[in-house]
Amino acid sequence: MKLYTYGIIDSSKQINEPIYGLEGTCVYNIFYCDIGAVISECTEPVQNNTKGNVLAHEEVVERLMEHFTVLPVRFHTVFDGRDNLLSMMQSYYKDFRDNLDRVRNKVEFGIKVIWPSDKIKEHITNAYKKNDKKVSVPGNSSNKRFMREKFEKYKLDEEFEKKANKFINVMDMFFSKFAAEKKLKKLKTEDLLFDAVYLVKKDDQDNFREAFEHIKGPHANFKFLFSGPWPPYNFVILPKNNDLLKDSRQKDLFDKVIQHQDLVGADTI
Amino acid sequence: MTLNSVVETDFPEEFVEEMEKTDDVLPKKIDANPENVEKGLAKLVLTLIELIRKLLEKQAMRRVEASSLSEEEIERVGETLMKLENKMKELKQIFGLKDEELNLNLGPLGDLM
Repeated sequence: MKLYTYGIIDSSKQINEPIYGLEGTCVYNIFYCDIGAVISECTEPVQNNTKGNVLAHEEVVERLMEHFTVLPVRFHTVFDGRDNLLSMMQSYYKDFRDNLDRVRNKVEFGIKVIWPSDKIKEHITNAYKKNDKKVSVPGNSSNKRFMREKFEKYKLDEEFEKKANKFINVMDMFFSKFAAEKKLKKLKTEDLLFDAVYLVKKDDQDNFREAFEHIKGPHANFKFLFSGPWPPYNFVILPKNNDLLKDSRQKDLFDKVIQHQDLVGADTI
Repeated sequence: MTLNSVVETDFPEEFVEEMEKTDDVLPKKIDANPENVEKGLAKLVLTLIELIRKLLEKQAMRRVEASSLSEEEIERVGETLMKLENKMKELKQIFGLKDEELNLNLGPLGDLM
């Protein structure tokens, strides 16, 4: 019997209320010491990343979050029987415990911001043209003209990044006030200025939300996306070189969780 | 909609579009089937050449900014960079590659370029 896994929880007791997972299967807890792996039985590995399957997985994790601290496991993690699962739990026990302690009473929020990059660039270009003191490349040969164009682009890109950093630092300062940890990526594309996830104490959720509204207010020409509270998909840290999990399907148990969140987020939109 | 989590935005399509742009440009494995093995390897090699070309260009711009290049040196550097850029354009065209395809995802370190 294969075991489809949803998450690791800080409990060695059975789940009190009935929870149904992928394809309506019953979800239960297989415990090791004082932690447990929440699974449902399946005969064949679930292959399809369909909206229904991803949402069913996500819903189980969110139900678990109501009662336990949860380390969400990557969608489509299947173990070949109870012995393999327990062997994995034994190997990772200390890491699981450490992670459970880190994320206890915390949830994840995602924030993305699109800025009007075209207008920003236009503004920077106009300011650059008006600047009389700028360094330039003299001469009119094709090589020098090439260098002049390249240098202008270099300066404009530099200014573009400076402006981006300025906005990012202000936004991050507001959100970081209420976050225990964060992962932030700037300018993933020219338009996607800010792409961050924050690990926030449950007690600080409202403050975090307020900070978001506060930032959103004065930036009418920016586009915002707020998501959460999520299980801490992006904040589970496991040692990369642990070779105790030989099965490749299980090796990257928590890897690519961003993709999972994106998938859930995008589908939910 | 999931149980508790919400995704709030007035611009869902724009965000989906941006997220699609950030998907890995290179596959997780080299697709080495007989039909496209050349293109797959060319993509990898050209990505590395493009990285070196951009580094050279950036270094040259820094030196222009610091006024540490003579006019002759600017002329020679300009010629070299222009030829390199043209050659890259030619190679990209031969292998049917776009600029945005020349990148590598370095996992937690982010994209190469």
